[in-house]
Amino acid sequence: MSIMRKLKPDRNINGVIIPFSIVPIFGLATLFFGLHVGLITLAIWMFVYSLFYMYVFVRTWNTAQLVVCAEGAFFGFMFLVFEPNFGTNSVGSREFKAAYISGVIFFGILLVSLVITRRLKWRGREIFELAAESVDETSNGYTSRPRPVGKVEYSTQEAHAFALFCARHLIALPYMSSKNITLVPIKMGDEFSRLLGLSGDYRDASWVNFDVSGEVSVHIAQKDYLDYREPLAFDQLCTSFGQVFIDFIELYTKGEGVRVIDRMDNLKLSFLS
Amino acid sequence: MDFPTAAKYASLLSKAYAEDIFKLLVNYQAISASEVATRLDLHIKTAQDFLESLEQLGVVSKEEILEKKRPYYRFILKQTRLLIDINLMQVKREPSQNSLSSHIREKENAGARFTVARSEDYITSVTIWTGNGREREERKIKLTTPQGRFLYHLPFPKAEPLTVDVIMQKAGIDESLAPEILDLVQLLEKYNVIEALQEVPK
Repeated sequence: MSIMRKLKPDRNINGVIIPFSIVPIFGLATLFFGLHVGLITLAIWMFVYSLFYMYVFVRTWNTAQLVVCAEGAFFGFMFLVFEPNFGTNSVGSREFKAAYISGVIFFGILLVSLVITRRLKWRGREIFELAAESVDETSNGYTSRPRPVGKVEYSTQEAHAFALFCARHLIALPYMSSKNITLVPIKMGDEFSRLLGLSGDYRDASWVNFDVSGEVSVHIAQKDYLDYREPLAFDQLCTSFGQVFIDFIELYTKGEGVRVIDRMDNLKLSFLS
Repeated sequence: MDFPTAAKYASLLSKAYAEDIFKLLVNYQAISASEVATRLDLHIKTAQDFLESLEQLGVVSKEEILEKKRPYYRFILKQTRLLIDINLMQVKREPSQNSLSSHIREKENAGARFTVARSEDYITSVTIWTGNGREREERKIKLTTPQGRFLYHLPFPKAEPLTVDVIMQKAGIDESLAPEILDLVQLLEKYNVIEALQEVPK
């Protein structure tokens, strides 16, 4: 039986464009400056890519990011090794082939398993699907105002630990201040622009905010609201969006954080969307 | 004294020649507009308008003089003290039970932009568009903290409307601040950001 999704199918190609932009960059660098420069460009790109994932790791403490970071560094290094020896016999040597193929196999298997087990997946779509689950009424009523959705009993330490949990499992990106913890769920493909600060202020995105007194408030960006197939009752959607996080923090503080992941995995969304 | 009358007094007193005209009025038993104008080197119309305005406010009286030529007026000072006394409390909006119990919510497609405070628990300003065509312009209304908290708790469009006093309770706003809240409600109703519902939808 197919599950009726409330979000439109994912047609965001940002997640593909950025990593694969290396192909035309390599092609153009080779065309204008020769294969040697092309290979160096490729190596530099891989190091930049690796640095970005190192930054994502530092920001989220999601260990799967380190694998992507190591993969970028490994292939960057391989291209640098390959470049001065290009056109010589050493490129075709068994040692080089062994190093290259073993790297491809190791990182290939590791990356595929991380993708399939959703350890590299930003969970924004799961959050929005869960929020819309209980909303059937369609009456629109969108407003850019945030909505207070309730109050939760938690200590500052618990809230901080929950924010780190959300970051570690790529549920949301936390922004912390002395008075607030704001969690911004990110959909796959939006992570580059959000983490690189190209999407503008996080307050304009969808977020849920926990303040020191336990008040929970929610803001849903129009872009995310329009991503739903139908104009869901906005008031109910905001309440439900906040409730998803209230449920999550309650599960987490009870030591049942794994149930949070289970709830999202049970939606069986594509691991690439 | 009401505000418009006080404004008229203030407007007259703010003229550069006001003091000189009053000096003449005090020292002369009666004086005509042309005498004032020639004495102070003013245009006759300026002197005439000033004295007529004082007459309307009851500061001077005028008497018609009928001589050989066409009739004219002479002005006589009636009050030797001018006192501008405004009770500012007369403009205070006393919250009536009716105004506090009206059901309100944000209007759909209001086109307003709300700016949220860094602490994320109140709204600092509302930006609305006023006018049409070339007259259209952006107007930013800065809010006091209680007004910002009130607006933060205002029901969304299509959501169940709430009464003003219930929203104030939810926002933790003291009753004594009701006048500034009602002022905001009235303003935003005027600009179609808030709608008041006569009947609460079920």
